[in-house]
Amino acid sequence: MRVLLGLAGLVAFGALLEVVPRIGLVSPDFAPPTSRIAAALGDQVREEQFWVALLDTLRTWALGLVIAVLAGVVIGVLVGSVPVLRTLTASTIEFLRPIPSVALIPLAVLLYGSTVTSTLILVVYASFWQVLVQVLYGVADVDPVARDTARSYRLGPVATVRYLIWPTTLPYAVTGVRLAASVALILTITGELIIGSPGLGKDIAIAQASGAVPQMYALVVVTGLIGVLANLATRSAERQVLAWHPSVRAEVPV
Amino acid sequence: MRRKLAVLFTTLLAVTACGANTGSGGGAPASSAPPGQPEKVVVGVIPILDVAPIYLGKQKGFFTKRNIELDLQLAQGGAAIVPAVVSGQYQFGFSNMVSLLLAQSRNVPIKVVSNGNNSTGEDGKDFAALMVKGDSPIRTAADLAGKKVAANTLKNIVDTSVRQSIRKAGGDPTQVQFVEMGFPQQPAALQSGQVDAVFVVEPFQEQVLSQGGRKIASSYVDVAPQLTVASYFASNQLIGQNPDLVKRFTEAMQESLAYADSHPDEARQIIGTYTQIAPDVIAKVTLPKFPAAVNKDSVQKLADLALQDKLLDKPADVNALFL
Repeated sequence: MRVLLGLAGLVAFGALLEVVPRIGLVSPDFAPPTSRIAAALGDQVREEQFWVALLDTLRTWALGLVIAVLAGVVIGVLVGSVPVLRTLTASTIEFLRPIPSVALIPLAVLLYGSTVTSTLILVVYASFWQVLVQVLYGVADVDPVARDTARSYRLGPVATVRYLIWPTTLPYAVTGVRLAASVALILTITGELIIGSPGLGKDIAIAQASGAVPQMYALVVVTGLIGVLANLATRSAERQVLAWHPSVRAEVPV
Repeated sequence: MRRKLAVLFTTLLAVTACGANTGSGGGAPASSAPPGQPEKVVVGVIPILDVAPIYLGKQKGFFTKRNIELDLQLAQGGAAIVPAVVSGQYQFGFSNMVSLLLAQSRNVPIKVVSNGNNSTGEDGKDFAALMVKGDSPIRTAADLAGKKVAANTLKNIVDTSVRQSIRKAGGDPTQVQFVEMGFPQQPAALQSGQVDAVFVVEPFQEQVLSQGGRKIASSYVDVAPQLTVASYFASNQLIGQNPDLVKRFTEAMQESLAYADSHPDEARQIIGTYTQIAPDVIAKVTLPKFPAAVNKDSVQKLADLALQDKLLDKPADVNALFL
């Protein structure tokens, strides 16, 4: 039922975008009706270039996300577990976190040209904070009684992380990953669009520079679809990873 | 703070390491390749009509026969290309002449190594035009006093050229107001009345025409006959380290430019391979001219105008800009 309603919403939205240019509210030259965008998309998927660009985008996105998640989790657990470090870095993190990744584009281009590396810097910078901050909160949320118990049993550092910190942090980290996944996708497309590294974003820029408006919107639709799929994927991964957790275990009232 | 910075650098290093196998075109300036081995050369270009000759030359083998393996990287604009050439990410780049004059005035170490593209020199039949809506009361460039004109980049070649059109038509070039807006957005902005005039290049000139727009001036023609609009450049570092490569690139470019200029149908065809311009539009657009040599007099004129409009604060040494 929910899926049906969701689809109905999408269809209604598509119909609205079909009607608005047709009745002349906006010029169809600049905002083509849905049917023309769909036709342009149909042409695109028959071309090899489209699939190459799609793979490039997915690869940059996945690579950036993996780096950001690994760095965020490792550094988050480390910094969060040592109170001195936590205090020492708190203001620095709050200072660096709101800096928009896009502001780093000139620096990245200067260092690495219009390459995938430049885009990856943006992606990692933006999504790293999403994971790091969640992990820091997670580490801080460890139950004091459990912590004292672990200390009484003289758990070593590795065992402490594995049996005490990690189970508490995991739900936070997973939320961080879900947030990071969409941020990473946005920055991947933005980087390709502005820096010109290979991928869908670059093709959007080329279509725009060519005045090929329906083709441009067709590619924009594709990036939206990737976003939906990415969110579905991270949500299903969340359910699997946290199958034991009360927030996911439906049979236990929380 | 120290630790946090260290962490940041570690992250950056990790990114670099991962980028090494996925990235393309990064790295040090091309050094002399061993004899018989083609030298890999990265050139930063923009996805517009103007760079058709280099694509055509690549297809025709003008570069491979000079041992150059050409890797054409599409960048969004000259602003991204100049730093990439200076830092050695690209060996050569494509940029308009005013951007290069501005770079020179800021002591950016670059030199022009080949012509890029020129205006057709025919008033009313150029690849770029100052345009208004069909029903606009503006008849000539002189009527633009106090009006809003869209320019893709402020304080650049569009600025200089449009002011020259106004000057030529007898108007006051200081009274026009420029609004920064990318070429793709300009036809819509003109249609909706956000701006009174636009300065567009193909294919957007064709788009404005198809919406009933009207050309009021060919500003590149007003600046100088056969104005050199853009060119290919290299960093002084590359020119010093590998003069042989620069020489071969320049020769290959001259052959490519001459070929494109004498085979406009093939030039049109190649445009369809690196842009998304619709085939029926490609057939209609006005192509730039592709002379093999830079029109230095026209560049001098452009530099004089840029000085007059205060884009440059001191006279440019135009000859020093060329190899």
